[in-house]
Amino acid sequence: MMLHAFGVAAADKITVAVAANMQFAMEELKNDFEKKTGITVEMISGSSGKLSSQIIEGAPFDVFVSADMKYPEDLYKKGFATDAPKPYATGQLVLWTTKMDLKLNGDLKILLLAAVKKIAIANPKTAPYGIAAIEALNYYKIYDEVKDKLVFGESIGQTQQFIATQAAEVGFIAKSLVLADELKGQGQWVDVDKKAYSPITQGAVILKHGKETNDNPAQKFYQFLYSAKAKSVFKKYGYIVNGL
Amino acid sequence: MIDFQPFWITFKLAVITTAILFVISVPVANWLSGSKNRLRSVIEATISMPLVLPPSVLGFYFLVAFGPSHGLGKFIEHYFNTRLVFSFPGLVIASVIYSLPFMVHPLQTGFSGLYPSLREASFSLGKSKLHTLFKVMLPNIKPALLTGIVLTFAHTIGEFGVVLMIGGNIPGQTKVVSIAIYDEVEAMNYHAANIYALILFAVTFAILITVYSVNNRYAITRRL
Repeated sequence: MMLHAFGVAAADKITVAVAANMQFAMEELKNDFEKKTGITVEMISGSSGKLSSQIIEGAPFDVFVSADMKYPEDLYKKGFATDAPKPYATGQLVLWTTKMDLKLNGDLKILLLAAVKKIAIANPKTAPYGIAAIEALNYYKIYDEVKDKLVFGESIGQTQQFIATQAAEVGFIAKSLVLADELKGQGQWVDVDKKAYSPITQGAVILKHGKETNDNPAQKFYQFLYSAKAKSVFKKYGYIVNGL
Repeated sequence: MIDFQPFWITFKLAVITTAILFVISVPVANWLSGSKNRLRSVIEATISMPLVLPPSVLGFYFLVAFGPSHGLGKFIEHYFNTRLVFSFPGLVIASVIYSLPFMVHPLQTGFSGLYPSLREASFSLGKSKLHTLFKVMLPNIKPALLTGIVLTFAHTIGEFGVVLMIGGNIPGQTKVVSIAIYDEVEAMNYHAANIYALILFAVTFAILITVYSVNNRYAITRRL
């Protein structure tokens, strides 16, 4: 509405709420989109759970890019999204450490070592990558042995910070974070076997606020998320886009 | 139903922090109130820093200082086998620093408000400095002591930003009520968040009413 008040002179702008695991990939997508369309993208990053609560309480976001399907589906059911969410990528879970003396292995046995005192994961109550981490621990049947070592990051971003500062020796984060330029070369990581956790299908929706106040730019951005260009960026950051 | 452990951790943290701060602050406030030292302003400003710094800044610096990869954190981890991040002892130390001005300021004001002749009379009767402090000065600043204790206790219960940065949200160890409420809101369990908040409100209100009515009764009897 404010855009109409200021007239055509104001540049088009949209506000996108982004799950923390997407923040680096989204930076690149944002630049591509801005260059292509001239629409400015303001990005707000956080855990999918927190962003959903804020949207329900009236946060002025136009598009929501979540780390799962459950949160955007919930928003759609409650009337905060215009359509049911569509998956845009499947996330990958990795084990990451910045302590170079630890030898990481896909079977997660390293977590049982006494030298590993704290394992960081994202809070499973609000972050889908946290749920995946717990599933992986259960799959390898080591959850009970390591559960006292777990520390919970408020979002995948804080989880990454705990590992980067070595407050936790090792932890589970999104592959997109370790592949980002900001973290490249820091520490070492290993893929967690896909069969150890349910697929992290990530979905996006246009929000009611976006449709009512910013329909055209929001639509453009939403369609861009599913374009071939976007898919190539997702692949670059370790997401899987086959079959989507 | 909700988990009640966060209440236990919160109150444990508040009581321990208040007790430690009381012991530390009495000599510090006493010294500050009488000091003509040139460094006094520097020390007072340092003590007041936790008042002005955002708790997230404090929390961030604790994370860096107490992290086990270098410096103080590494030393403590190596020699005491304790990590000060993601642990209850770490929360206690952080809370002590965070609430320091809330204990020192009221005590200092209390001491400064005493007539100097009170101290001098005690000395002239042959009492030692320590005896004077405990038997003459402290009993005469009871309202200030109460203010300091209540403020510190309440401030620790409300602590959030610092705990969010260095706590790690570990159930049974660092998940205090303020974090539990935030957690439930993030997970969209508004009902649970409400229950936590109401119980916290009721309990702390009851504590404060008890404390203030005892204080008022004391003040009334004193006036007679």
